[in-house]
Amino acid sequence: MIKEAVYYESTRMFHGSLMNIMGTRFGLLLINKNRIESYEVWNNVVFELRRLDLLFNRFDINSETSKINCEAKHGFMQTSREMMNVLKSCKDYHKRTLGLFDITLDDISNVLLNEKNCSVAFTKDNVSLDFGGYAKGYALLKIQDIMNNALVEHSFIDFGNSSICGMGHHPYGSAWKVGVKNPYLPNVILDEIELSDNFLSISGNSPSYTGHIKHPGSQKLVESRKVISIISENPLDAEVLSTSFMIANRKEQELIKENFKIQNIGQYNI
Amino acid sequence: MSKIKPKEIDSSLRKFIKDLGYISGGAAILATTPWLQSFTTDAAKEIKNEKAKIGFIGTGSRGTYNIQAVSAIRHAEIVGLCDIYPPNLKAASAIVPNAKTYTDYRKLLESKDIDGVIISTPLYMHAPITLDAMAAGKHVYCEKAMALTMDECKSVYEAYQKTDKVVYFCMQRMFDEKYIKGMQMIHSGTIGDIVGERCHWFRNHDWRRPVPSPELERQINWRLYWDYSAGLMTELASHQLEVCSWAMQMVPETVIGTGDIVHWKDGREVYDSVNLVYSYSNGVKINYESLISNRFNGMEDQILGSKGTMNLASGVYYLDDDSIGQKSGIEQLIGQIGNRLYASVPAAAPSWRPETKTSFVPHKIIKGDFQVNDGLSMIGALKDGTDEILSAFCQGCITGERGENIVEEAYTTTMLCLLGNQSIAEQKKVYFPDEYKIPYMKFS
Repeated sequence: MIKEAVYYESTRMFHGSLMNIMGTRFGLLLINKNRIESYEVWNNVVFELRRLDLLFNRFDINSETSKINCEAKHGFMQTSREMMNVLKSCKDYHKRTLGLFDITLDDISNVLLNEKNCSVAFTKDNVSLDFGGYAKGYALLKIQDIMNNALVEHSFIDFGNSSICGMGHHPYGSAWKVGVKNPYLPNVILDEIELSDNFLSISGNSPSYTGHIKHPGSQKLVESRKVISIISENPLDAEVLSTSFMIANRKEQELIKENFKIQNIGQYNI
Repeated sequence: MSKIKPKEIDSSLRKFIKDLGYISGGAAILATTPWLQSFTTDAAKEIKNEKAKIGFIGTGSRGTYNIQAVSAIRHAEIVGLCDIYPPNLKAASAIVPNAKTYTDYRKLLESKDIDGVIISTPLYMHAPITLDAMAAGKHVYCEKAMALTMDECKSVYEAYQKTDKVVYFCMQRMFDEKYIKGMQMIHSGTIGDIVGERCHWFRNHDWRRPVPSPELERQINWRLYWDYSAGLMTELASHQLEVCSWAMQMVPETVIGTGDIVHWKDGREVYDSVNLVYSYSNGVKINYESLISNRFNGMEDQILGSKGTMNLASGVYYLDDDSIGQKSGIEQLIGQIGNRLYASVPAAAPSWRPETKTSFVPHKIIKGDFQVNDGLSMIGALKDGTDEILSAFCQGCITGERGENIVEEAYTTTMLCLLGNQSIAEQKKVYFPDEYKIPYMKFS
């Protein structure tokens, strides 16, 4: 994991970046914090991201997700309180998205929770948890707490291009302006979005990465050339919805919208 | 008269050089590839009614390949064939029935009808025959490497200084379009500063040929014995080390290596596995590896630059700027804020994933289809520059014009190969000896 941090004295700006965290890269820009404060925030953010990577990374045999994926098919097993809350939250999102958000990519009803004992079990063998459409939003919620505690007013986060957070505003503007790129034509901008104290999540296919989103009901891969953007004050809502809207038909989209407080939804057919 | 119908096997390269000259300016191309100066379409026209009379010494597998290539050159005629192994001589004679046959190369050299000789013998005979041929007043083309020993290399080089004859060694990559264009791109800065060079040659073959009776073992399987061959270094690495020096425009100062017989433990003496590191004075290194018991990695001549990578054998290059998602939106934002600008950053897109080797966009060095040598053949690969260098030599036999730098490149490369073997044998770092340095070489 490559970690870099630079403080620009002349502009009172801090830039931190992490390569290969949660399967992607993470970048943070802090404005108007001094050097010591900036590094303190950054260190807390890095610590939290690494902790969450170990919680959610299904490719790491030592992660809690891996342990559940290996053992829960044999019967109830103990989980951390945090994991239990995450699983409850995922079940809740499953309901609110009409079943389109599903961390098992199949049928989350096969995941049984015993809240009282803080334990989980799978009802059959080939069930596994994949937090790919959830973890980054969850991490941004946690990072938001760190920023609030440190009284950060102006910041910009780019989490793997697809999850963007703009808090406060650009030093020379009233918000943070972000262009939504056409993944098939990298020099073409589909839309320009202004962020200020909110989150943007993007979901879509790209030439080198098509068919990574699957409809949990039909099990068909979503291979259409489209991009979905969701703006919300809640990064987890934005994350969950951008994936769900890739799968949902127009009618489902309308119904799902009623269950969320969304600031803007964009759909770009390309 | 050969049974093979002549055709213009060299016209593609001649046209390529002409076009390259137009694009880059004639002076630029000649500065980096002076041996191509006379390899023009105009020169081909001037000699179209003339024929170089060629004698072949060594008519084994590589010799036969060369016979077939020369038979297809309009400005050449094969008039003599020589080999000490009767089956090979007979087979060659079937291709060129009118050529006179010899079993002693000295007799062939006495022939007044022969302008130049093409030597395709085992390595240990390269220097003796080359020296005798020059002494006999013949133009000489010899397969690589130059010689079996450093002293022989020196003798050949010194004899070349004293003769006015045309002398070529088969450094065919110097006549391969993708190498010529690739080098021009390297030297014009396409991949930035050269920071490393990696070459490898992998095969899975025992390097043996069938032997009709045991007493012919060393004559036929000469590559496997130190008295006749310098093993993988001269047979394979010589081509690749030449490419490295050509790219760097320098010669490595030191080499350290290791070699073993890892798999083919059949009584052979030469290594079937070698790993060497050659170092230039500026710290850039050549990593060389050859193994003939696994062919997975094939063959590649790779030049690593600060801005990109050139895979010359494959004819493909990659630029760092082409890596997918190489700059984050934040990096662009930092630039904006530093310049007090407020604008959009094109940050948002479907999830970025870590870069892998395949995320770099491959570019062809030359347009259209071209031959890629997978390195598996023991004889040679089609369209690897061999036909063209043979044509250039035959042209030289007519015009008397020498191919600039070719002997020097062969000398330098062979020395590097032999120093590599010395390092392996002595198990220590070896420095390029002063007494073998020639004015052509640049070490810093």
